[in-house]
Parts: sequence; structure tokens; C-alpha cells
Amino acid sequence: MTTDLYDYVSTREAILDRVRRMLRDAMKLRIEPEAIDPDAPLFGTGLGMDSVDAIELVVQLDTVFGLTLAGSPHVSSKLRTVNTIVDAIMEISDES
Amino acid sequence: MSLEDEYRSVRHRAALSRMDHVGLVRLSGDDMTEALDTVCSGDLWVRDGRMLQTLILDEQGQPVADVYVCPDDDACILMFEGITTEEISALLARYAGPELAVQVEDLRPAYELISLHGPYAWEVLSKWLTPDVIGLPYLSFYHFDRGTCFRAGKTGEYGYDVAIRTEHAEQAWGELLNLVEGLGGGEVSLGTLDLCALENGFFSVRHGPVEGLTPLELQLQWRVSARKRFPGATAIQERRAQGMNRRLTHFVARESVKTGDPLHGPDAPVGRVTAAAYSPGLGGVAGMALLDVSVAHPGIDAFFVPAPEANRPIRTVSSPLLFNRSLLVDPHRHSCATRDASNDPPLWQGSLP
Repeated sequence: MTTDLYDYVSTREAILDRVRRMLRDAMKLRIEPEAIDPDAPLFGTGLGMDSVDAIELVVQLDTVFGLTLAGSPHVSSKLRTVNTIVDAIMEISDES
Repeated sequence: MSLEDEYRSVRHRAALSRMDHVGLVRLSGDDMTEALDTVCSGDLWVRDGRMLQTLILDEQGQPVADVYVCPDDDACILMFEGITTEEISALLARYAGPELAVQVEDLRPAYELISLHGPYAWEVLSKWLTPDVIGLPYLSFYHFDRGTCFRAGKTGEYGYDVAIRTEHAEQAWGELLNLVEGLGGGEVSLGTLDLCALENGFFSVRHGPVEGLTPLELQLQWRVSARKRFPGATAIQERRAQGMNRRLTHFVARESVKTGDPLHGPDAPVGRVTAAAYSPGLGGVAGMALLDVSVAHPGIDAFFVPAPEANRPIRTVSSPLLFNRSLLVDPHRHSCATRDASNDPPLWQGSLP
């Protein structure tokens, strides 16, 4: 594995791990972090979260990761799976 | 219609399809819930009138059926793909045992299944059935005089599966098709629906072979109970204990990449393509690959399909790949004829490698 790829995967796995733990702890998901599939839908099916959870999730993402989604357009597209959340966090990390 | 026209119907208008490949049974009997619980992999916590997605696995933990469980008063409707009604009955007899009182009624002779998809599928159904259908939550169903309407779908757009009594089916098909065509849509093939499911990350029993793959590799752990016994549970436990070494990951590509193609990284093979198809929305290939878990992440540009003339690069991506129009369409405020889509973000917001 090249250094660039190794660095990217290491960074991504670290953020993925933090997001999974945040979902388990703050969102009260009763499953182990590693059982949360990165591409599992957050709402409806998948992790089964609802609109109340969505509000809490937006607050947690702001508090824990500095990812401000409240008021931004098309929030729903960033909150579809764990991986789309990780994408959004990596995006703000790249910008800063 | 061409693939592009069918695709446009699903992604931008409304689309109609026959669901001859889907099974429909009604379970009843005092031990119905217990019997069903023994064969399905997920925890069956679902209220009357709601739907729950689960799987039926074989003893190796491989999915053999994709199932909606729909509790309905003293009975339960199952809508499923991948196996036949006879196989469902045989599984119940094998795993639930003869002492449990459960009856299986095949609803397919009496009902046909028609599905509607698209950001304006609700508009078609609200005109054909009742405006109340707009308020039907995702994964719920209700009965009407000629059948049952299920709010479901595996395309990322508004989706409805209508079980209609056979004697009304042809008339219903004609009326629905008229309404769909009135919105600029049309009838679509199963292939187009499978492509849309692939783009949105929905599991499909038709998305390539699942040989050797369990819900762990398929990213379907949310459909597997950690609390109960079911066919394949032991295999999944063993796989967990060993540690998962591969995971399904979505990708896009500019050039022809096919199911079964090997994928290489900078210095070693990393996996293989399990499903791939040309996507008009991307203008390229949408696919899924089984990758070594150490690199099974979106956002990687380092992999390629080796080819004699020039390697074909892929880019791993998060699913859903698209910004579905159904996220932008509000049935309470919009209609297909009047909604201004000129400021919509692009369907595909990424780029091809």
C-alpha cells in the first residue's frame, strides 16, 4: 500500500470509528460499533433512526466534529449513511 | 423504451413495472409469528400495518431471499424475492417444525403485483387511488377495495407496490400507465430497476453471486439478529469470530468494467467486481466490488481493472451514488407539471476517474 493510500485509509478509519461510537453512545443504538455497517441507511430501514434522531444527530455532529449542517441546503444528502457522514467530516477537514 | 428513457422515468418522472418475479404469501395460524421468527434473520419487531425488511439465509449464512414482513391483524403478509412460495413453505416446515400451527396461502393466483417508482410516483397513485396515499409512511401498507398498497421500493425514489386482485389487474395497469405517461414516464424493465437499486445501495438477489458472502460482507448486519437462532446464525458467528476480511464497496468508472473483473491496487490485487452496469445518470459505470477490508472505503482512486491496452481505473464512492430527486420533491407542495427543477443540484455530484 502506498503512503498516500495508507494515510487516507488510516484517517478515514479513525473518523469512521468515532462516528460509529458517537452513534452508539449519543444516539443510543443498542449495537456494537463494528456492527454498524458503513453503508447502512441511517433512517427508515437500516439503523432505523427517525426525525427526532435526525435533530440530535445534527447537534452531535456539530458538537463532536464541528460539522455544521443546521441551515445548510440539502442536509438530507449528507445524512444518508455513516459513510456519507464520514465524507462530510473529511470534506471540512480538507478545507481547514 | 430505451434504457435512457426508462432511467429518466424512474429518476425524474414516474415509472410502472410488473413484479412477476416477486412472491406474495399470507401466513396465518396461532404460531405464525414464532414460525416466521425461526426462518428470518432479523428481529421481527414491527407493528401492524408497517413493513420490515429482513433476509432468509442458508446454513452457510448466504442470503437466499430478500423479504418484507408485513403484519396484518391476525395474519402476516410476506413479499419476497429470491425463492419461490414452495421454498418458503418448505423452509417453514423444516425449521419451525410440524408442531407449530402455521398456514401458508399463496396470494399470487388471486393478486398481481404492479410497482410504481419515481419522484412523482405518489402523484400517479394519488390520482388513481386516493390523495391520502401521500401520507402513507415509508414501509407501511394499507388495504383498499381491490387490493393492498405497500409503500416500499428499492430505487431511492418514491416507491409503491400495489397488489391488485387479478380480475382488476389489466384495467388497473392501463389506467396507471396512462397516468404515468401523462407525466412523461412509462413502463420500465426489471433491469432498469436493478440498476437504480445498485446506484442507491439497495441489496438485490440479482446483483451478482453471493457465494461465500454473508450479511457481514454485504453490509447487511442491520438485518441480522444478535439475539436469536435462525438458519445461518452459526456461520455468521464463526465469520465474526474469525474476523471479516472482505467488504462490499461501491465504485464508479468511466470505461467498461464488468461483473467478475479483478481489481488491483498499486502493488497487489484488492478484490473483484460483483456487479457493474452503465448508468445514464453517471455517464459511466456504477458498480459494487468485494474489496479487502483494509481498503474497503469510499474515496479511493488507486484501484483499477488490469487490461492489456490500458488499465481501467475505478473510484470507490459512498452509496447512495445519486442525489435522488425524491429528496427534493414534496408531495404536499409540488406537482410534476409545476415544480421548477431548474435550480436542482445535479443528480450525480461526483466525477468519474
